[in-house]
Amino acid sequence: MTAATLPRVPGNRDPRVSRGRRVAGSPALRLIVKRVLMAIPIIIGVTILASWVLSLIPGNAAQQLLGPQATPEDIALLEEQLGLNESGVSRYLDWLGGAVTGDLGQSVVSGQEVSDLLAERLPVSGELVGLAFVVSLLVALPVALFAAHRPNGVFDRISMVISTVGLSVANYVLALILVLIFAVQLGWLPAIGYTPLSEGLWANLEGMILPSAAIGIPLFCFYTRFLRGDLVDQMQQEEYVTTARAKGVGSWQVLLRHAFRNSSFGLITVVGLNLGALIGGTVIVESIFALPGIGQMLLQAINTRDFIVVQAVVVVFAVVAVVANLIVDLLYVLLDPRIRYGSR
Amino acid sequence: MRRLSKLAPLLAAAMVLAACGSDDDGGGTSEGGGGASAGEPQAGGEMTVLEDTAFTGSWPAGLDPATNTTGGANLPMMQSIYGGLFLLRSDDDGSNAAVEGNQAESGELSEDGTVFTVKLREGIEFSDGTPMDAEAVKLNWERALASPCTCKPTWPLAPDGIAVVDPTTLTLTFTQPYAAVSASFPTSNVNWIASPTALEKQGPDDFKINPVGAGPFKVVSNQLSSELVLEKNETYFEEGQPYLDKLTFQSIGGDQAAYQALQAGQAQAYEGLNTTPLLEQAQDNDQLQVSIQAATSPYVIQLNTKTGPFTDPKAREAIYAATDFEAINEGIFGGRYEVSQGFTAPGGLFYEQEVDGYPEFDPDHAKELVDELGGLTVKLGTISNYVATQINTALQTQWEEAGIDVEIEDYQLSTLIQQFTGGQWQAMLQTAGAWDPASGVGVGFRFGSRSPFSGVSDPELDQLLADAASSIDEDERGDLYQQAAELIASKFYAPFGLAFAPANISVKGVHGPGLTTVIPAALVNSQVIWDEVWMEQ
Repeated sequence: MTAATLPRVPGNRDPRVSRGRRVAGSPALRLIVKRVLMAIPIIIGVTILASWVLSLIPGNAAQQLLGPQATPEDIALLEEQLGLNESGVSRYLDWLGGAVTGDLGQSVVSGQEVSDLLAERLPVSGELVGLAFVVSLLVALPVALFAAHRPNGVFDRISMVISTVGLSVANYVLALILVLIFAVQLGWLPAIGYTPLSEGLWANLEGMILPSAAIGIPLFCFYTRFLRGDLVDQMQQEEYVTTARAKGVGSWQVLLRHAFRNSSFGLITVVGLNLGALIGGTVIVESIFALPGIGQMLLQAINTRDFIVVQAVVVVFAVVAVVANLIVDLLYVLLDPRIRYGSR
Repeated sequence: MRRLSKLAPLLAAAMVLAACGSDDDGGGTSEGGGGASAGEPQAGGEMTVLEDTAFTGSWPAGLDPATNTTGGANLPMMQSIYGGLFLLRSDDDGSNAAVEGNQAESGELSEDGTVFTVKLREGIEFSDGTPMDAEAVKLNWERALASPCTCKPTWPLAPDGIAVVDPTTLTLTFTQPYAAVSASFPTSNVNWIASPTALEKQGPDDFKINPVGAGPFKVVSNQLSSELVLEKNETYFEEGQPYLDKLTFQSIGGDQAAYQALQAGQAQAYEGLNTTPLLEQAQDNDQLQVSIQAATSPYVIQLNTKTGPFTDPKAREAIYAATDFEAINEGIFGGRYEVSQGFTAPGGLFYEQEVDGYPEFDPDHAKELVDELGGLTVKLGTISNYVATQINTALQTQWEEAGIDVEIEDYQLSTLIQQFTGGQWQAMLQTAGAWDPASGVGVGFRFGSRSPFSGVSDPELDQLLADAASSIDEDERGDLYQQAAELIASKFYAPFGLAFAPANISVKGVHGPGLTTVIPAALVNSQVIWDEVWMEQ
């Protein structure tokens, strides 16, 4: 019997396929490659869109910087100094040419290297978003499970009221209320400012609790409501739940081992879609808490029509969104082996 | 951000627990801080000062005097780093204001008003140890005048008009008499002298981030439009000053967030509070002290006489007759500010509250005029900020009572500029004037025939304003400005309104000129003299 006719043993690897081919043929890797290739036109498209939207906003960097008292001569002089006389298309293509070689350019307004600005500010926003995201998710999971365990019970009703209130309040209002309670009235936490991690873990965390809560609380409420609703649907309508119960499986076990596993797909999708909006939420929160992050930088760049900085931040946002969605898809593969991306 | 800026005042209003009236006048008031009564200044301490992201707290182009295009807004940072050749000082209540030498020992205008001689103090050094001499000043002036910033002075400078006489003396030669020269210094970029050595060594791009001056503080770190950390300059020319060891300017998103940060003890001062409900709340707060600065630029309703309904004097007269700024001041601002009939205000030079022949509020007459016109429809705009939009809403109500159809609109800065440069605007609520009406952009900016931001084209008015700027006789200048105000009133060019000025708030135990005392605003905001600010230890 030749190797070519060896029978395949289910569950065993084909000994004729090299490790390299196995890796190359894995659905996860194919997915990653496909998504990375797809990300390129997405990111370019997003930057074109951002460039176009920015061009629709009245005024350019020179007008914004000089203010309402500037004469046309002053504006023309600054436009020349800032290199704003070129067309928008030409400036975009120049920027794109640099960006593909890793040069994100210099701020039109300050002349600073954009990559330096990102390196300075990304860690702040990253920590803010990371904390908000992780804590909101970690708290939302048990709350949703407890609420779904006894739908319309006391715990469910309380969590519903809290979630509804949390979802109804805009994060900038929530930010001010949190400061009023925890910084002004109780004096437990600082109202503004950022302390780098290098100056101590607690000093750093202390300053990030309220800002991340301002972003994370609405998120927690949303995750809780979403997951609770899906869990209750699964528990009340799905046949596999009825079957499991008929077999005498306990309600917590059904909830955790069966319903939660199925509901987690929806949650993962929502979390992935949420990440982009989460970064958007930093814009106002960073401004209120005086955090030197990427959101604050974006706001300033839009106000001064700093095209180069806006583009760089948009690229960051787009990359985060693409990566988040890639991770979501990979998690699908991990959680459900039936899913085979690109196998046909 | 636009959404935030619109909602923040509403939130602020909602959070006000108690409001109180006030008997303050528009000349500025200081509560709790005191100047001379506060005792001997004490050295030491660290202070964090909050600045609104929308104005003072935005320095996106860095802090080099020649390239900082928002220098007029960034007075706190620029004064702290560079000190200033001249400063506007006044008594604690804002009275007797005058431009005085600081790093300059003196500034004297020749009798014919065409040569201004500046004498520098001996022995001043930049914080990098190099001398701040006449050559350094000349280089800085040349760079500053080449800047597109509206914070550069509008001197009628002769060709090669800047000359070094000796290491501590310079002259400025003008093509015509220019009386407002000394008044032009405190808020213009020629007042801030940077170290030429540091500039050359670092290059302009790095220098704007780490500027070096001869002011009271040195830069420790500078994150543009976010945080500027300064430390005491041990070689500052004023012995014993500055009093503070460390000064941090922190940019923050609006009045409400700043107010709460002060309450929480995260900062010690906030410059430029505009939101009236918060101002009232701060005045009631035992932990805070409020200093309402002396107004120098009253609000004005500019009417576009070049096109639209206000080419007809009757329509302009109807607006005068329908407008009651006193009622707006009482109803919205608790009578806190003075209402002016001209472009001067209580904190400024040549202030005259009343103008002969100024049309009175007369709603019946307004209705008659509107009837004669067969109706009047007006689009009234302003910049998008709390005070201006409140006033516009009140004006809309008043004018509609007189039978005028009014559409109000508030604009972001860039759109406002487009409205003016497009020339089709009808009525705009703006501010006009300065501490010296001829300094900076001056009153000519709103009323000069050649200004793109003027709705008036009147050679007679142009001449009056030019004569007032060039006369070196103070009394004559005052008379000419009064004549200009009378002309504006007689031609119904623009009704004037309340003279608003922002407030500075600080925690108890902080003292300093302009922060806890009153200094008139040379242009928009007043200049705190940071070298003299101190904290009780």
